[in-house]
Amino acid sequence: MKSVIVDEDRCEGHGLCQDTAPDVFDLDDDGPVVVRYDAIPPALTRQAETGARVCPVAALRVIES
Amino acid sequence: MPAIPSYPHDIWTDEVLLDPHPHYRELRELGPVVWLEAHQMYAVSRYAEARAVLGDGDTFCSGQGVGLNDVINGIGAGTTLMSDGKLHEHLRSVIGPGLTPRALRSMRDTVQRLATELVGRLVEQGSFDAVADLARALPLTVVPDLVGWPAGGREHLLDWASATFDLLGPLNSRAERAIPKAQEMMEFAARTAADGGIQPGGLGAAILDAARRGELEPPQVPPLIIDYLAPSLDTTISAISSAIWLLATHPDQWAALKADPTMIPNAFNETVRLESPIRAFSRVATTDTELAGYAVPAGARLIVIYASANRDERVFDRPDDFDVSRANAAAQLGFGFGTHGCAGQGLARLEGRAVLQALTDQVQTIELGQPVRALNNVISAWDSLPVTVQPTRRAAVANA
Repeated sequence: MKSVIVDEDRCEGHGLCQDTAPDVFDLDDDGPVVVRYDAIPPALTRQAETGARVCPVAALRVIES
Repeated sequence: MPAIPSYPHDIWTDEVLLDPHPHYRELRELGPVVWLEAHQMYAVSRYAEARAVLGDGDTFCSGQGVGLNDVINGIGAGTTLMSDGKLHEHLRSVIGPGLTPRALRSMRDTVQRLATELVGRLVEQGSFDAVADLARALPLTVVPDLVGWPAGGREHLLDWASATFDLLGPLNSRAERAIPKAQEMMEFAARTAADGGIQPGGLGAAILDAARRGELEPPQVPPLIIDYLAPSLDTTISAISSAIWLLATHPDQWAALKADPTMIPNAFNETVRLESPIRAFSRVATTDTELAGYAVPAGARLIVIYASANRDERVFDRPDDFDVSRANAAAQLGFGFGTHGCAGQGLARLEGRAVLQALTDQVQTIELGQPVRALNNVISAWDSLPVTVQPTRRAAVANA
């Protein structure tokens, strides 16, 4: 199972993760990004990885949990 | 370890700056790291290694400058752009927060309104220069007030920024000519830091406030002013100009975007990918290291060519094509990546999207006259893009 680690200090809310992987990342205007799952469902793993990769400030990491 | 391939050509001549991509393609073919004989630095031109270098600030530092010569790396010392580690974190925490999409939320409607009104006037006019009248006009309306620049000096902002970007390249004649203007900008920054003139409530005032609270030493203030002065206009102007040029020369993509404006954010990323506003910055290896199996010695300066990485055929299918629906356009490195990822990209996206929204709303067709590229060592810039536009048909009907 994989999960996404968010570096909340780095997240500036650019929203590219959400644009790329809306089923995994949820961003509102007020806080750092919210990952919708503690453990990413296998069907969404690829989306999660792609969404993490496009973070322009490298605030997202996908790890094996 | 294999020997690093080398490349003999100067990739900063006028001719190359006007069409650098054949050279960048050759560099990518040669290898992940290539020695540039003409510049005595290494080129990192493929996507994976560019991203790796940008993502590893401990091994590939910014603190010895990210420009390609000692003059600008001296001028830029102490900026957020050219610092590392804890210091960089601290400086970014001063200049960055006011620029995040979250902080700019309250400006979104204003910027959209300004873009809509501006495009409305230009559509009525019919023919205009998309660079001077649109791509420059919107940022110049928005940014100087947002930062709160003193009224005196604003007329030099574009000249200073353009000179700074020339000077960020190798020290060729174009860079040498830029030195006096870049020095003028430094003097303006020092003056602004010392005697105020900065308007209250803006991003610039936040720097002075941080200094007043003791969070910055006085000498740290002028470089942070430069962090806002140099990159806030030319880059966005380049991206907006290129977007208009690309949409005017690709009617199918324009039609697709007009049919589905939800693709505007992706179209903006695709523009920055294909016509990366900043061609390249550099990093210095802090230790003997290795990149993609090649030995890189401590002290080596590596030129990370964003404009090349963004056309890496290993990552982007049909890399030279403009495709507003490209699935991985958001992976482009045009704003850099990682801890030094462009602090102003939220603002750039806000401005770019507002212009594209206004254009797709109000314009039916864009007809391009003779475009003229500008020559700048670092910015992929335009001098003029004469266009003639037809109003959106539904609007024409409504007005009839």
